[in-house]
Amino acid sequence: MRSRISHRRRRNISFPQRRSMAAQNNQEHTLGNLLREKARIVEIDGEEGFDYAEHDTNELNGVPFPGSHLKQTVTGVSIVPHYLQTATRNLVHDDLQTVTSETQAKTTAECLPYVTGKDTQGLALNSHGLPHLRRKAHAEYLRGFLGELPAGYAAMDASRPWLFYWCIAGLSFLGEDVSEYRERLMETVRPLQNASGGFGGGHGQFSHCACSYATILALTAVEGLEVVDRKAMWHWLGQVKQADGGFRMAVGAEEDIRGAYCAMTIITLLNLPLELPPEAHARGAGLQTFTDRLGEWVGRCQTFEGGIAGAPTNEAHGAYAFCALACLSILDTPHVSIPRYLDTQALVRWLASMQTVAEGGFAGRTNKLVDACYSHWVGGCWSLLQAAFSQSSATRDDFAAVTELEPSELWNPAALIRYLLTCCQQPGKKGGMRDKPSARPDAYHTCYSLSGLSAAQNLYIYENGITVDAESGRLTAAFNWLAQRLSPGKAMQELGIDEHDVVECVHPVFVVTFDAVMRAKEQFAKGGL
Amino acid sequence: MGKYSEDPKWSDIDPLPTDEGGPNPLAAIAYAEDYEETMSYLRAVMAANELSPRVLELTEDLIDMNPAHYTVWLYRSKCLFHLHSDLHEELEWLNETALQHQKNYQIWHHRLTIVDALGEECDVQGEQEFVARMFEKDAKNYHVWSYRQWLVKRFQLWEKGELEFTEKMLEEDVRNNSAWNHRWYVVNGREAEGVKGVTDPEIREREIKYAEAAIAKAPQNQSPWNYVRGIRKASGTELAALKPLAERYASVERPGTVRSSFALDLLVDILSEESGGKQQAGKALDLLATTYDPIRKNYWAYRKSQLGLGSIETAATA
Ligand SMILES: [Zn+2]
Repeated sequence: MRSRISHRRRRNISFPQRRSMAAQNNQEHTLGNLLREKARIVEIDGEEGFDYAEHDTNELNGVPFPGSHLKQTVTGVSIVPHYLQTATRNLVHDDLQTVTSETQAKTTAECLPYVTGKDTQGLALNSHGLPHLRRKAHAEYLRGFLGELPAGYAAMDASRPWLFYWCIAGLSFLGEDVSEYRERLMETVRPLQNASGGFGGGHGQFSHCACSYATILALTAVEGLEVVDRKAMWHWLGQVKQADGGFRMAVGAEEDIRGAYCAMTIITLLNLPLELPPEAHARGAGLQTFTDRLGEWVGRCQTFEGGIAGAPTNEAHGAYAFCALACLSILDTPHVSIPRYLDTQALVRWLASMQTVAEGGFAGRTNKLVDACYSHWVGGCWSLLQAAFSQSSATRDDFAAVTELEPSELWNPAALIRYLLTCCQQPGKKGGMRDKPSARPDAYHTCYSLSGLSAAQNLYIYENGITVDAESGRLTAAFNWLAQRLSPGKAMQELGIDEHDVVECVHPVFVVTFDAVMRAKEQFAKGGL
Repeated sequence: MGKYSEDPKWSDIDPLPTDEGGPNPLAAIAYAEDYEETMSYLRAVMAANELSPRVLELTEDLIDMNPAHYTVWLYRSKCLFHLHSDLHEELEWLNETALQHQKNYQIWHHRLTIVDALGEECDVQGEQEFVARMFEKDAKNYHVWSYRQWLVKRFQLWEKGELEFTEKMLEEDVRNNSAWNHRWYVVNGREAEGVKGVTDPEIREREIKYAEAAIAKAPQNQSPWNYVRGIRKASGTELAALKPLAERYASVERPGTVRSSFALDLLVDILSEESGGKQQAGKALDLLATTYDPIRKNYWAYRKSQLGLGSIETAATA
């Protein structure tokens, strides 16, 4: 299947053409009216349209939403986009109420005052009327986790490597220097590494794919990978590779698609041999390498909905969609490996459907609620998918020729940015980002909100290149990505952000900065053990 | 001093305190004394590979303190099997623990291991009932549904009330996508073994009827729309057969009567396969992009480009 996306992007033709929007936007309804009419808009008359970009923001006050009687001073000049206007939002509305629709309504009501700019929570606003990204506060918040944590964090005792990764990676996405953590991280992870290979969640814990992945990425970010016992890691990964092609999360633990992505990330960054260790039990089933039957196994995780499940036959879920696409993007050029194993049209439909109508962020499953962490899990899928759709070869020269970045064409990055900046930033002294306004911030949501922001803001292009290193045998497709940071201009205007709100480019496959990935690439260029 | 250090039963063990790696560890947790002590005994017994009844007690203690500790779970199951422990008893203990720690998922893998080992000795109906109880608290718990699937396969429950179970769940909340996914599994999960699902015309019609009835209850519910699309794809049958269904909730000629954006989306695919239907499909995409689903306007525009049509036209809303 051939798509014109990347051409269009490079030729910088505005897409889609934005013209005036339908006139029903002008209608004002009270909530009661809307409900009585079952939110059906009768009058659709498109000729006398208006462009929402030029729309007078005072209209805002007329938007009814639950809690609108609690008058807030409108400090923002935020423009309410077409998709957020009451008339549009409620066009298709069902009478039947169930737990799902009730929790959805509650979430929308909770978010609307923020996404419409009605309540700015006292946050400083950018020139587009959206809250600025609170860089300092979020950085401070993440740094806080790297210090001493109170006893209650014992619940995180088996996932401390995630804390290292979320905080260090999150800081680097904010452009903070993380090299100061190098020595301490290298010391801290030493007791987490097992002699038999891999990293556990803490001292004396079994090695685990997720813990190893998080540790490796955190070390990658601070240039501390020399503490890793690569040979032992290779042996340990041989124990979790399964005969059906997938990976278990730990010896004796569940097999799921996170294991596949985590293992392939580790193997590729560390340039471990692709051959299975001699003692690997998967050899007994005729497998010889870590990649044997892997693409097929990932393909089996695609469900009837088009999305990807954690394991074959489970429910489609956004986090697993990212793991699948990123794993396949390690195996080969995305436009070769992704369509080979997945129905991309079904997947893109499902992914697009995850962007929630009113809030603008992503949900993780059909009929579930918006949540900031899917800004990364689903938001991070788009550049990988776009590379899968693009058969033409991008080159550095083409890329340099892009003067004015276009917002991404398969989804709505502006809506995601709006959700993250308005709903997910903790106001007040503390900083940090959160799932949704009623949730408390945490390091996980902070890291993945920032990564999602980067996916929405910056431009990522796959440059066709070598996919296997001739000398070491390393899979190199994932190293062929180019990134361009969003620069001031029309694109910023459309995304509703200022220079201050732009985060660093995040590697589409490895989810650390590009510099960090390139350093790891160099460090283990030779391969071997 | 501590619970274990003062217990003569544990006097032979030299606890292994946490190695923090250095003087300035990152994200160092200031463990409560009892937690630190218990962990240091676990490390010691694990280092000696001790598999004993007292280790079972130790792991139980730790799981109470931190149920997300995957190592403790894995070591506990190793211990249970080594000691040939009473697995029924284990299951009873798990029932309480699972209800206390709803979100924990290590527990479900552990449960799977135990129930698998019990095999025919397991009270399967009891398992089904327990899982159903878990859904009372969270009807979309991913790990519980995944466990339920495993249960169906392990004990061949395909025709033992599972379809009715999904009906009951969907009766409660027709938007519960996890229940739809389970239904798909129950219907189609044995295709590889040669038991036909929606590739059988009778089953296919039954499932489409079921989804149609669900759509009638709430047309703007994505789940059954995804379900009927899935049926068409899995059975390789014509999408066109769904035209009457799509047209019941969406029309290009009378855009004011659209009751479901998902119906409109389906209509796009049906129309674009018809000879001369492309222009109509394009109009439906315009409607989605400008009126019925504008947050996805870029996606709808992409679909239009896929059909070789131009960009989105706002006039189509007239
Ligand atoms: Zn989340």
